[in-house]
Amino acid sequence: MRVFTIALNTFRETIRNRILLNILMFAVGLILLSLVVGEWSMENQAKVIKDFGLSAMSIFGLLIAIFIGIRLMVQELEQRTIYILASKPIHRWQIIIGKYVGLALTLAVNVLLMTLTLGFTNIFMEGSIDWGMLPAIGLIYVEILLIVAFSLFFSTLMSPTLASMATLAVFVIGHITDFLREYVALYPDKGLHWLFRFIYRVMPNLENLNLKMAVVGHIPQPPHAFEYGLLYGLAYIGVILLLSVLTFNRKDFK
Amino acid sequence: MDRTILEISNLTKKYKGELGQKDYLALEDLSLQINQGEVFAFLGPNGAGKSTTIKLITRLLHPTRGNVFILGKSNKTPDAMKHLGYMPEQPALYGHLTGREFLLYMAHLYGLSFKKKDTRIDTLISTVGLSHRADHAIRGYSRGMVQRLALAQALIHNPDLLILDEPMASLDPIGRKDFRDLILNLKEQGKTIFFSSHILNDAEMIADRIGILNQGHLVSINAMQELVGNEAPVEITFQTDQATVDSMGLSNKVCARQDANYMIRVNPNEAQEVLQTVANRCRIISVIPQRMTLEDVFMAKIGEGR
Repeated sequence: MRVFTIALNTFRETIRNRILLNILMFAVGLILLSLVVGEWSMENQAKVIKDFGLSAMSIFGLLIAIFIGIRLMVQELEQRTIYILASKPIHRWQIIIGKYVGLALTLAVNVLLMTLTLGFTNIFMEGSIDWGMLPAIGLIYVEILLIVAFSLFFSTLMSPTLASMATLAVFVIGHITDFLREYVALYPDKGLHWLFRFIYRVMPNLENLNLKMAVVGHIPQPPHAFEYGLLYGLAYIGVILLLSVLTFNRKDFK
Repeated sequence: MDRTILEISNLTKKYKGELGQKDYLALEDLSLQINQGEVFAFLGPNGAGKSTTIKLITRLLHPTRGNVFILGKSNKTPDAMKHLGYMPEQPALYGHLTGREFLLYMAHLYGLSFKKKDTRIDTLISTVGLSHRADHAIRGYSRGMVQRLALAQALIHNPDLLILDEPMASLDPIGRKDFRDLILNLKEQGKTIFFSSHILNDAEMIADRIGILNQGHLVSINAMQELVGNEAPVEITFQTDQATVDSMGLSNKVCARQDANYMIRVNPNEAQEVLQTVANRCRIISVIPQRMTLEDVFMAKIGEGR
């Protein structure tokens, strides 16, 4: 119940945030702009629009996750509203989980709005909605949830700037871990192979959550790619939230 | 027997030094008990450890050693915190919420029943004088209004114990008077109030007991009456000449002289004897027991510790 109360306040706080509104407007505008980009493209217009739209969702989802996720916890700590919250008869894990659920709700609304915009461009171009895009969108949402879990974790540990950079690094590295694995396999004794191997083992492989190319290009997917991605993402989120709770539990609010 | 509402035993807080810096002992071995219905002022200069103590009571800090019990329950359990209302120093509230929304949020966190909430919120808004701004966003509130709303949230669940960190520090004189009246009113309702302050006048006016903290150590803990009532000097004014004053051995106690009027200041324990001596040989004009202020006591206690 208390988790829900904190989640609701977090949701209210984020949707009243002007930065979020600005990013969202920009994202919706960019998805709509895909109609124009499609016009210019030499390739299949509908394909370009879907590709462009899904990529915009992924990138703007990431931006929202970083801005809102970090800002929310940092604000709580720096403006010292945490004094009021943490002195209530609640467990600290309820604060972390409540904030996370609130952020997840906000992100769900954002992804929904971007999906509706993409659906609109879809209808405009092809006269119908390509429901096949939904698994890709579902995993984009899971990816954003994973990134926001990281942003929450980092913001309990470090300054906002460092936390933003660390979260961005997770996103970038998360998309190149396959490359790192291949590099290590090709040159097992070269340079920083031990570091690459470590990163590959520890960092999430965000490509497991990327069905964009498969959906847009109608490339055959590995069996159960969506289910695997979903479980992989949720398991990672669980671990990161657990780490966030552990660090937050030990924190002194000076 | 008085019921203990807050018990602090051997509370110690050592902050780990940042890179290359030494550890810092903010509070050492603090033990005290606060009884139900009393107003306890926790005084000390800046950096004495007052806020650290309050943050340890409210679980914002983890103690290095020691325990805090609220009505016999360890403050490590959220259940114990149901009996406590806390207002931080210079409180920061959620600017995106209106005053009413904020109190509703706090009521939910305490798990107040649906029926109770609305009435309680209306009563509190009116008690702290925010009826006209209750539905405006907090980000537009003045500091005094934020302070009053912060007090309202501390009272939302009708707690037995109120912990207030420098509650009057940022208030104007009228605001401070209102606040003092409010605290006295809460005391009449049987609430226990533990507050820190460096404004000694306010503490003197409302506290039943005073704890003085300096450099992380409890220097003294006394009833207000004990502190300012004891050791107060007595001023005796009488008419005589210098030779008589010298012969009575009182020249070193003369604190003022005008023509043949001499004023001496003596300790209360010797006042009776001196008065008799003076009365036998001079004409006494006045005998006025002085009242020590809390500031005098505070300065003396802090001075002893240095």
